Amino acid sequence: MANVAVSVAHISKAYGTFKAVSDLSFEVYSGEIFAMLGPNGAGKSTTIRMIVDILKPDTGEITVLGGKLDDARKDRLGYLPEERGLYRNVPVIEMMTYLGELKGMAHNAAKTRSMQLLEQLELGDVAKKKVSELSKGMQQKVQFAVTVLHNPDLIIVDEPFSGLDPVNTLVIKDLITEFKNNGGAVVMSTHQMYQVEEMANRLLMINRGAQALYGTVQEVRGRYALPALLVEGEGEWSALTTVDRVEKLTDTEGSNKAGILLFVKPDMTTDDVLAEIVGRGGFHMARFEKAIPSLNDIFIRVAEGDDMPALEALEATA
Amino acid sequence: MKKAWLVAKHEFISNVRRRSFLIGALGVPLFLLILFGVIIFISLSGMTTLADIGDVGYVDNAGILTNADTIPSNYVAFATSEEAGAALQSGDIGAYFIIPEDYLRTGDIRLVSSSSPPEELQDQISDLLIANLDTGLDAALVNRIIEPVNMSLLALDSGRLVKGDAIVGLFLAPMLFVVFFMIASQLTSSYLMGSVVEEKTTRVVEMLVTSIAPLQLLAGKIIGLGALGFLQIAIWVGVGYILLSLGRFLPFLEGVTIPSDMLIVAIVYFVLGYLLFSGIMAGIGAVVNSEQESRQIAGIFTLPLAIPFFFIFSFLTDPGSPVVVFLSIFPLTSPVGMLFRMGFGFVPPEQLALSAFLLLVTALFSVWASARVFHWSLLMYGKRPTVRQIFRAIRTNPGMATSATGDSRG
Repeated sequence: MANVAVSVAHISKAYGTFKAVSDLSFEVYSGEIFAMLGPNGAGKSTTIRMIVDILKPDTGEITVLGGKLDDARKDRLGYLPEERGLYRNVPVIEMMTYLGELKGMAHNAAKTRSMQLLEQLELGDVAKKKVSELSKGMQQKVQFAVTVLHNPDLIIVDEPFSGLDPVNTLVIKDLITEFKNNGGAVVMSTHQMYQVEEMANRLLMINRGAQALYGTVQEVRGRYALPALLVEGEGEWSALTTVDRVEKLTDTEGSNKAGILLFVKPDMTTDDVLAEIVGRGGFHMARFEKAIPSLNDIFIRVAEGDDMPALEALEATA
Repeated sequence: MKKAWLVAKHEFISNVRRRSFLIGALGVPLFLLILFGVIIFISLSGMTTLADIGDVGYVDNAGILTNADTIPSNYVAFATSEEAGAALQSGDIGAYFIIPEDYLRTGDIRLVSSSSPPEELQDQISDLLIANLDTGLDAALVNRIIEPVNMSLLALDSGRLVKGDAIVGLFLAPMLFVVFFMIASQLTSSYLMGSVVEEKTTRVVEMLVTSIAPLQLLAGKIIGLGALGFLQIAIWVGVGYILLSLGRFLPFLEGVTIPSDMLIVAIVYFVLGYLLFSGIMAGIGAVVNSEQESRQIAGIFTLPLAIPFFFIFSFLTDPGSPVVVFLSIFPLTSPVGMLFRMGFGFVPPEQLALSAFLLLVTALFSVWASARVFHWSLLMYGKRPTVRQIFRAIRTNPGMATSATGDSRG
C-alpha cells in the first residue's frame, strides 16, 4: 500500500452558525493525483486551509506527511493558493530564491533550481525581470514553479489551470504528472472536470461541506453508470430484442450525450446486445460503449443536490 | 528562527534599495552637508580681518576720546565726517566711525566701511569707548556691570558640565535627536506596514505561512526593517557629528553637543519605540485592504508621538511637572517625551526605569497581539473586521477563529 501523504479524519469547521465542513474524512497517497471537487462555497478551500494549517478544524484530526504539519513538514509541502500572488517589484529569480530558502533550501541551490525550472517553463529570459513586467500566464507559471521549487513530497494546488492558455495548461499538466510519477502526492482542487478525468487517480467531491463522492475516478463514474449502451451508427435499434427501449440523445452538452441510448433489458448483458447486433446484420456502428456519465454531468447533478438514482436521472435529462 | 533571519535579510535588502530610503538616508544628509559646506565657504571667503581694514578713522563729536591715552596706533582722528569720508574714498583708511554729540544719551555709533567690517573691529571700538567713558569706576567693575554672568552649568544628577554657549546646544540636541529618531522610527515602521499590506493584497502571505509561522514572519520583518532604521540613524548621527565638528565655523551651531548618556537612552527608546509602533503598524497592515487606508489609520496611532511637542514649554521650564512626567512615562508618548525630558532636565532613575519598562511591556504586547491579528487576518479576504472581531482575534487562537466569513468557506 502506498504511503499516506494526507490523512483527514472526521474534520468539521463552522463559521458561526454556518457549517463550512462537516465530518469529512479522506486520505491522499504518495504517487497519486487526488482531485477535490465541489461547487463554489462547498468547503474545498476551507478544507485545504485546514490541511495547510492556516485554519484549525473544530473537531477531527489531520496528519500531513505522517504527522502534524510542523516546520520540517512544511518544508516538504508545496502550496499553490487559489488566489495567486507574487511580490510584484522583485526580480523573478530573486523572489524564487527567497521563497526557496524559506522552504529550507540553501541560497545557491535555490537559485540554481529556480533557473532550471524557469528554463523548463521557457521563462529563462525573464529571470531578471520584475514580476509586474510579466504577463498573467507567465506569472501563473512562475507561481507553479515556486510550488515545486523545493522538490516537495506533497503539493496542494488550488485551480492550477485557471487563467492559462491551452499550451501553458499542457506544460503545467505535464509538470504535475511528472511530479506524481516521481512519487509525489498531489491534491488538486479544480472545476475543470475533463482535467480530473484525464489526470486524477482518485477524487473527492464535496457538497455543502460534506462528502458527496469519494473513490477512484472509474469507481465514481461507474457508480453513476446507466443500464444502457451508448451507440452511434445506423440500424433498426428498436428491433433488438435484448433492448428494452431506445432514446436518442442530442449533441448539446458534449460528445458523451450524442448518439443513441439502448436500455438493456434487466436479464440481458452488454455481450447479449452486441451478439444480437452482429447476428442480425444490417447495423453500422461508429461507437459502442457503456453509458457512463461524464464527471461534468455527475458534478452538476451532485451540485444541484440531485440524489436520484442513475436511471431516473437519465430519463429526466434524456 | 533561521527563517526569521531570512525574512529579515530579505526585508532589509529589498527596502535598502528603495528610492525613498536612499533619498531619506543619504540624500537629505548629503544635501545638508553640501549646504553647510557652501555656507561655510561663503562666510569664510567673504570674511575680512582687522589687518584687511588697515587704518581706522573716527570723528568724535561727543569728545569722549579727546583725552584718551589708549587709542590704538592705527586710529586716525578726523574733524568732520566729510574728511573721514574722503579719506575712506581715497583708501587712506579702511573704515571710520562717528561718535555723535548725543552719544552718552543714545549710545549710537555709526561705522562706515568700504567692505563688511569684522566683528573684532566693533568689539575694539566698544572696548575703546567703555575705557574712555568718564564713569569714575574701575574698568573691571564696568565690565562686570556690562556682563554680570558668565555661567557654566553643572548638572550633578546627569554629571554634565555645560559652559556658556553650549547651554543652547543642550536644548538643541534633544530636539534634533527626537526629530531624527521619530523620522527613522516612523519611516521604518511604515515600511513594515506597507510590506504587510503588500503581502496581504497580493496574497503572497497565504503561500508564506505554509513556509514560516506568522510570528516568525513578523519577527523577521521587524528585525530587518529595524536594522534599516538603525542604518538610517547611524548615517544621520554620523553626518550630525560631521556638521557639529564644522560648527566652530558657524555661530549658530557653536556649543551644540550630543551627550553620550542621551545617545544611549535615545537608542534604547528608539528600539522600544520602534518595536511598539512596528507592532501597531503591522496590526493595521493586517486588517486593512490598501496602503492608502493603512496610512489613514496609522495617523491616529502616531499622533500621540507629537503631543510632547505641544508641551515643549513645560519641558523647558518645569521638567518635573505632572504633565511632563506623564508624557515621559506613557508608552505612546515616552519615545519622544523621555528624550525631551532627558535633554532639558533631570529624570529620576526610578521614573526612567518605569518609563522604559512600560514601553518594553507595551511594545512586546503590541508585537504579540499584531502577530495574532496578522495570522487571523489571513482569513479575511477583502473584508474589514470590526474592532470587536480584532479584540476577539487577540484573545483567541487565530486558527480557531470562527468569525471569518466569505471566500474562506469555498
